[in-house]
Amino acid sequence: MAQIPNLDNAPINLISIREQSQKELINILKNEHGVELRHLSADHIQTDCTKVVYLVRSQPNLMRHICSNIHHDESKGLQREYHVYFVPRRTVVCEKVLEEEKLHNMVTIGEYPLYIVPMDEDVLSFELDLAYKECQVDGDTSSLWHIAKAIHKLEFSFGVIPNLRAKGKASVRVADILNRMQAEEPVNSSDFLNIKNGSIELDASIMGLQQEGKKTKVPLNSSDKLFKEIRDLNFEVVVQILRQKATSMKQDYTEMTTTSQSVSELKDFVKKLNSLPEITRHINLAQHLTTFTSKPSFMGQLDMEHTIVESQSYDICFDYIEELIHKQEPLTTVLRLLILFSVTNSGLPKKHFDYLRRELLHSYGFEHITTLNNLEKAGLFKKQESRSNWLTIKRALQLVVEDTDTANPNDISYVFSGYAPLSIRLIQHAIRSGWRPVEEILKLLPGPHLETKRGAFSNSPSFDSLSGVSTGIAKVPDGRRALVLVVFVGGVTFAEISALRFLCSQEGMAYDLIIATTKIVNGQTLVETFMEKLG
Amino acid sequence: MANVSVAAEWQLLYNRYYRKPELYPMRWKHVDLARHKVAGAPFGGPVAVIRDDSKIVQLHAESALRKLRLFNSAGHPLADAVWRHPGGRLIGMSWNDDLTLVCVVQDGTIYRYDLHAQLVEPNISMGKECFEQNVADCAFWGNGVVCITEQNQLFCIPDFRNPKPVPLADPMIDEPPRCIAVIEPQYTMSGNVEVLLGVADDPVVLVVEEDGVQRLGEGLLRGPLQKMVVSRDGKWLASFTHDGRLLVTTSDLTGIIIERECEADENLRLIKPSLPEAVEACVDASGHEFDVSRQRTLLRAASYGQAFCSNFQRDRIQEMCKILRVLNAVRNPEIGIPLSIQQYKLLSPSVLIGRLINAHRHLLALRISEYLGMNQEVVIMHWACSKITASLSIPDATLLDILLDKLKLCKGISYAAVAAHADKNGRRKLAAMLVDHEPRSSKQVVPLLLSIGEEDTALMKATESGDIDLVYLVLFHIWQKRQSLEFFGTIQARPLARDLFITYARCYKHEYLKDFFLSTGQLQDVAFLLWKESWEFVKNPMASKGSPLHGPRIKLIEKAQSLFAETKEHVFESKAAEEHAKLLRIQHELEVTTKQAIFVDSSISDTIRTCIVLGNHRAAMRVKTEFKVSEKRWYWLKVFALATIKDWVALEKFSKEKRPPIGYRPFVEACIEADEKAEAIKYIPKLADPRERAESYARIGLVKEAADAASQAKDGELLGRLKLTFAQNAAASSIFDTLRDRLSFPGAS
Repeated sequence: MAQIPNLDNAPINLISIREQSQKELINILKNEHGVELRHLSADHIQTDCTKVVYLVRSQPNLMRHICSNIHHDESKGLQREYHVYFVPRRTVVCEKVLEEEKLHNMVTIGEYPLYIVPMDEDVLSFELDLAYKECQVDGDTSSLWHIAKAIHKLEFSFGVIPNLRAKGKASVRVADILNRMQAEEPVNSSDFLNIKNGSIELDASIMGLQQEGKKTKVPLNSSDKLFKEIRDLNFEVVVQILRQKATSMKQDYTEMTTTSQSVSELKDFVKKLNSLPEITRHINLAQHLTTFTSKPSFMGQLDMEHTIVESQSYDICFDYIEELIHKQEPLTTVLRLLILFSVTNSGLPKKHFDYLRRELLHSYGFEHITTLNNLEKAGLFKKQESRSNWLTIKRALQLVVEDTDTANPNDISYVFSGYAPLSIRLIQHAIRSGWRPVEEILKLLPGPHLETKRGAFSNSPSFDSLSGVSTGIAKVPDGRRALVLVVFVGGVTFAEISALRFLCSQEGMAYDLIIATTKIVNGQTLVETFMEKLG
Repeated sequence: MANVSVAAEWQLLYNRYYRKPELYPMRWKHVDLARHKVAGAPFGGPVAVIRDDSKIVQLHAESALRKLRLFNSAGHPLADAVWRHPGGRLIGMSWNDDLTLVCVVQDGTIYRYDLHAQLVEPNISMGKECFEQNVADCAFWGNGVVCITEQNQLFCIPDFRNPKPVPLADPMIDEPPRCIAVIEPQYTMSGNVEVLLGVADDPVVLVVEEDGVQRLGEGLLRGPLQKMVVSRDGKWLASFTHDGRLLVTTSDLTGIIIERECEADENLRLIKPSLPEAVEACVDASGHEFDVSRQRTLLRAASYGQAFCSNFQRDRIQEMCKILRVLNAVRNPEIGIPLSIQQYKLLSPSVLIGRLINAHRHLLALRISEYLGMNQEVVIMHWACSKITASLSIPDATLLDILLDKLKLCKGISYAAVAAHADKNGRRKLAAMLVDHEPRSSKQVVPLLLSIGEEDTALMKATESGDIDLVYLVLFHIWQKRQSLEFFGTIQARPLARDLFITYARCYKHEYLKDFFLSTGQLQDVAFLLWKESWEFVKNPMASKGSPLHGPRIKLIEKAQSLFAETKEHVFESKAAEEHAKLLRIQHELEVTTKQAIFVDSSISDTIRTCIVLGNHRAAMRVKTEFKVSEKRWYWLKVFALATIKDWVALEKFSKEKRPPIGYRPFVEACIEADEKAEAIKYIPKLADPRERAESYARIGLVKEAADAASQAKDGELLGRLKLTFAQNAAASSIFDTLRDRLSFPGAS
């Protein structure tokens, strides 16, 4: 348990959310001795246990595994008790599958209403890995309802969110569903001890396809103080900082051996020594990461990402991607660049589009036609149909910043060594002065946007009913900073989170930020959700 | 009203004072009670009047047809109905507990009417004996009736909710009884009704039950009784004797409570000069008072006195005012419910409101419930339903506006329930329109819409709600109810439902999904499904590679290809499928000729590489030609393939075949990646771009060469980067620093 993130310093009481989820899970598993945990798969369950509890997301395709498990037991004459707990709720479609398989009477159905998982003191995840793909490719918008429900649940604990801003089709829809929920099942504003002002930004992640994190089994979150210090730094800077730490410790050690020390000084030194394993671990980690970040391919890719984003040299980008395909570099790497290339150009000319698709199929196999089809449906890799307005957007929102000092950043663009993530720029504007001043730019971005005030708060003195923007209404009476919940529909990258934390730490910042997302993603994982082989 | 008369109204009866105030001058016209049968309901309920057909009366300016007329307690007409029932004379009528008027006619048929003079079906029969013997008289109580036939046999219906006639024991009398009274089943020992009969010329009362007859009052009574009334709780019996005395006894006639001459004994009692009691009494009295100005006088007195009483509960007066406002409102002659305060308390405000809405006094009911802070939903709901029932001729849209106007008064009212009523009244369209305005949970509305057959609206509502679960609910409902083609048509018009159907069907109804795509003309989607199926052959263990099962697999892909070719938007996919089929054929042949099952299901590029690795350059070339592989790709593939098998001689030969179309970079990269520095050095000088040369040298650790190339490139940033590459190497570092100084590039760190 020491490895799960500590939530004591969260701006809202996330511990209660976690504890509630724990309690509900324990209720489901109570009275069960010798619980064996398995991942759900089509493989049959090899166990002597007579009771099987399935905790399953209410996705129809997953029911197939449960059915095949039970059918297998039946064919072997095994008699077991089956419980299916749907996360977060039971659904007609999943039960329909059980019914069609004539298993409906054999299973006891329950619900495990897990809508939100706190990932860190300022990050919540809905753990909807496939949300982006389901919405964009399959047209299945279950996740939007889930998000709205989760926010509504938060509102039941912390009060109605009075200001709402959304950008993008999915986000605006979430806002719409949320308002419907409020109409059907209103949150009463007077029942809270913990009301803070809040405004919410919903943003479909459009541009989160940048550098990658590395999977390790070391738990990394705010509980690790050193990690908290270095996690949001630019990758170029991390090694330098760690080196400084190590050096200062070495100096202390030299002093320790050369001069006489008081007991308390010795104690301090020993305390520092205790953090040595931590530092060592992070140096190791950082060095490991450096082996990636210093590789020509990594540098080359980063350079190329910048070139694409700068959007000045179409041919260079095209040739580079073509070459990656010819060299049969990993498909995800290729697709990440291709998507970035296509999005910034608002699609590729038909000739190029068809050519690159053909080269992809030739190089990686025809089974990837579905992946290409998915990307096309999602608008991530498509034929050009209109002129791109990326240059205008980039310029107006100052997305590319020259001469970024990655060690002493003064702008969010430090996270990508000179590129400011579009989503965070929009949030920055929303927080500073509202969206009205950038309305024209917002219109250039895909999808509608929405800025709305919500009711039930007229009695509170801290909300200025005339103010269309959020400045001036930031402070709540007790002096705490007001709270903004930033929701990313489709996923958020660590870099974007870092940029938001950077914003949050700036002097004069009037708000605490809490981030909620369908899933923490990186370019790799996001592309992977769209990959689907025919075979 | 003068104060004197107030006291004068009161009459002492035994040890209590009573009075008989006139509540209303009756508003009705031409109702001579002597010529009519009359039934008044308790609790200020309505009065039913019908011309008495057992008397011979003179008809004034009125129809010979008799009319049943209903009035409120003030004689204000409520409703009427022409009486045309067969079955002989009307023997008796009475209002039962739920304000249904029960009418017994001679042949034992019972007709029932509601408050609006509408006949309540079905009619009830007292049974064959009553029909044959004729009913002579009857007695009612709250929810039942006892009839006595002309042959002095008794039959009873104990409960109108379950109207089965029950015969009672034979009282064995020859003459009809002088009077009849009943003790309700709830107050008897046996739980069955007891009928009291006062018989002629015999100073006893017969008590008739189902299983026997008792004689009571022997020795107590001195002669036959003329009239009997049982108290509400069944404990007491008041009777009028043959010799003009009023007698109150216990209902089992074992003791006399009061016996007196029927003359009023007037007396006055003085109120004790105890102030709190007096105030209390004033408040109470105001409650019992029907006259509004006297209520005011009493309350004013109470309010004055209250100021001098320290511990009098102040809200008592307020409370009483509230009650009186309600009582006065319903006592208004227009409404005509002269409830006493005890009756009101017994009845409870919610029952009163129920009665008001039953009498279609919705506005007053609404005002009262508003005034008392009660939920108005029940009133508005009833109003809306009655309105729908009564408005058959009003068009849907108009009626909807009328209804919405009122429904919106009550937040949270269930439009769905009103809609259900509309549907029951055969107004499905109105129902759908109403549901459309239901602001409440779509979770409740959608199933309701499905139950009234409004599937399209249900689908729309579910879609709007954003709750996918509801959309699936509707989807499966429609799927089950409609023919495939109709179902397909419905969901095709609804993108969300269509997409969800496809998602589900993709997992579990593969063939059916094909039907759907075919019916909607989405041939490319059928093609994708077929193409996908072609891989099922691979998963199928029967389809081992190299077996003739390739035939059907390729056929499927070709079928997909021809389907793609049907639309010009899918030329690309069609071409890809064609190439895929062709590739499988070639791979199949390759597996046969090489006797190695390593080709099928690898990509074109992989196939070329494999051929080269196997040394089969002709086959590689054939694949290249068949699929028009570009020179660029060809070079990368061949170079990497040759590096894989470390055939450096062949690689060099290949580099010299002709000038490579993409330069020598592939050669350099392949060698560096294979860690063959010596081979790499052969090609690095041939790189055209000095920057590339510098980087390549740097990658194989040749600092000096890298530095030279970099200085040719005159690229400060490159120098900085190279210096970083050699960060561990102090000598190298200084080389780059010197170079940079010499070229005077601004500091690139």
